[in-house]
Amino acid sequence: MKVLIIEDELELLNSICSYLGNDNFICETATNFHSAIEKISLYEYACIVLDITLPDGSGLEILKELKKKHKADGVLIISAKNSLDDKLQGLKAGADDYLTKPFHLPELSARVEAIIRRKYFNGNDVITLNEIVVNTSQKTVEINNTLIDLTKKEYELLLYFISNKNKVISKNAIAEHLWGDDMDLADSYDFIYTHIKNLRKKLLNANCTDYLKSIYGMGYKFSIH
Amino acid sequence: MKLFVKYNRINLAATIIIFLLAAVAFYFSLQYVLIAQLDDNLETEQAEIEKYVAEHQKLPEVFTIKDQQIVFSLAPNNSNIKRRFTNVLLYDNVDNNVDVFRQLSFGIQVQNKFYEVKVSKSLEGTEDVIKSVAIITFVTILLILLVSFFINRVVLQKLWKPFYTTLGTINNFELSKQKQITFQPNNIEEFSTLNKIVEKVINKAQQDFISLKQFTENASHELQTPLAIIRTKLDILIQNENLSQQQTEAIHAANNALQRLANLNKSLLLLTKIENNQYEQKTNINFKSIIQNKLIQLNELIQNKNIQLGLNLEEVSINMNNDLAEILLNNLLINAIKYNVQGGKIIINLTSTQLQIANTAQTSLDTTKVFTRFYKAEQSAHSNGLGLSIAKQICDTAGYTLSYSFNNNYHYFIVSF
Repeated sequence: MKVLIIEDELELLNSICSYLGNDNFICETATNFHSAIEKISLYEYACIVLDITLPDGSGLEILKELKKKHKADGVLIISAKNSLDDKLQGLKAGADDYLTKPFHLPELSARVEAIIRRKYFNGNDVITLNEIVVNTSQKTVEINNTLIDLTKKEYELLLYFISNKNKVISKNAIAEHLWGDDMDLADSYDFIYTHIKNLRKKLLNANCTDYLKSIYGMGYKFSIH
Repeated sequence: MKLFVKYNRINLAATIIIFLLAAVAFYFSLQYVLIAQLDDNLETEQAEIEKYVAEHQKLPEVFTIKDQQIVFSLAPNNSNIKRRFTNVLLYDNVDNNVDVFRQLSFGIQVQNKFYEVKVSKSLEGTEDVIKSVAIITFVTILLILLVSFFINRVVLQKLWKPFYTTLGTINNFELSKQKQITFQPNNIEEFSTLNKIVEKVINKAQQDFISLKQFTENASHELQTPLAIIRTKLDILIQNENLSQQQTEAIHAANNALQRLANLNKSLLLLTKIENNQYEQKTNINFKSIIQNKLIQLNELIQNKNIQLGLNLEEVSINMNNDLAEILLNNLLINAIKYNVQGGKIIINLTSTQLQIANTAQTSLDTTKVFTRFYKAEQSAHSNGLGLSIAKQICDTAGYTLSYSFNNNYHYFIVSF
C-alpha cells in the first residue's frame, strides 16, 4: 500500500518514512505544496500524511484539491498547532484524523492503519495475525477461533501492538496512547506493566504464541517473526 | 472629591468673601455719604438761623416739623460753645417714639445774650435707606451665588464631560480583548490632547501585548517540530537490536525528559491560547456527566492510591467552552489524586452555584502562590507547576472564581459560578 508523506521538515520526513516504510507501506514523499499537488493528481494513495503548514501553501488547500478531484485517499493531518480551529477545519475539509506534533511514530502508524481500515474495509475490518483475529468494528478478539474477554485498555493495547508489530514501542508511547499526556509518568509505567501482564496472561491462556517481548528498560515489542 | 466640587468650593468661598467685603464697604460709604448729606442740611439750617438772627436781632420762632427739631437754650455769657455734630437719642413728637437724631450744636449771640442752638434731624430715613440697601445687597449676593453655583455646576459638568467619557472608555478597556479604542472627537484642546496621548499609549500597549502573545504562541509552535523530530528519532533509535543497557537507559531518560518538555510546551501553548480567547465557542455543559466520565478515565489512578470517593453531584448545566471545561475538571481532579495520600479521600460537591473538590492532604499549600505559574509545593519531576494556573486562567476567562483553602487536613478547590 502506498502512503504519501507531505512534510517540509526533512528529518521528520525521514523518520516517518523509515518507520512506516519498513513492512506494510511504500512511502512516497513531498516536501512542498507544489510537488504534493503534483503527486496527488498523478497517483492514488491509501493514506496521505499531511503537514498542514507548508512553506509555499496551506495543507488545507491540498485537502480541497483532493475533494475537487474526487479522490478517496485517506488523510491524516499532522500539525504543530494543537488548535481546535485547525482541527475542525481540517476534518471539515475532508481529513480523516488529526495528530499534533510532537507525536510518537507508533501512534502515527496506528492512526494511519486505522484510517486505511476505515477507508478500504468500511470499518468492518478483521485483522488476522496468525492465530489472532481482531474484529475492529465489534472490538472483539478471537484466538484460535475462541473469543477472549479483554478489558477496554487491554484491547486498545493489543490493537496498538498489532499495528506496530515487530517494532519496539517505548513506555512513553504506550502511556500516551492509553491515557493521553495528562498522566503522571511514574504512575503510568506501573499501570502499563499491569495491563501488559494481564493481556499476556489472557493470550497465553488461550494458547496464543507468546509474541509480547519486554525490551529491558525500554518498552515492549510484539514480535511476529 | 470631584474637581468641580473643589473648584465650586473655592469659587464660592472667594465670592462670599468678596461680596461681604463689598457689602460692608458699601454700607459704610453709603452711611458716610448720607450723613454728610444730612450734615450739609444741618449747616444750611444753621446758616438760615444765623441769617435770621442777623437780620432781625432775635431768635426765629420754632415750629416743629417731622424729623426735625430746633432747640434754643440760654448759655452763660462768653461761654465758648463749640460747634459740633453728634448722634443723639431724642423724643420725636410727631412719631411719638425715641429716635436717633443727627444733631448740630452751635452758639449764637442775640443782643448780648448767648444761646446754644441744637438743630436735630432724624436719622430714621437714612437708616431705612441703609437697611433696604443692605437687604437688596444681601439678596443680590445670595442670588448671584446661587445662580453662579448652578451655572458652574452645569457648565463645568458639560465642559468636563469629554474627560469623564475618556475615563469611562479607559476604564472599560481590557488589554486582553483586542478591541480598538476610540474616543469621541471634541474641540477642547486639553481633552483632545489627552485622548490622543491615551490612544497612543494604549495602541502601543496593545501592540506590545499582541507581539508578546504572538511570540509565546509562535515560540511554542516552533518548538513542536523539533520536539517531534527528537521524539521520532528516539522511536527509531530503539528499534536497533544491538543497544547496550547503558544506551537503552540513556534513551529512556531522554524520552522522559522529552515528554516533560512536550507537556510543558503544550501547557504554555494552552495558557497563551486561553489568554488569547481562542476558546470562545460556548455550549451548555453537563458538569455532572463530565465529572463522572473523568472519574472513570482516572479510575486506575484512584484505585492505585486506594482513594475513597465522596460524590454529591447535582444536575448542573454550565454555559462555557467544552474543551476548557474538560481541561479545568481534568486538572483539578488529577491534582486531587496526585497530591492525595495513600488511602485518602476525594469529596466532590457540585451545586448550581459552585463546584467544590476536596482531597486529603498533610499540609496547606502557599495560598498566595498556589495559582502562580511554575509554583510547585514540592520539587517534583512529575509536575510542571502549570496545572492550577491553567485552571485559574480558565475560570478567569469564563468569569468564575477559583479559590483555594486548607481545612482539617483537606485541600479545598472551589469554583464559584
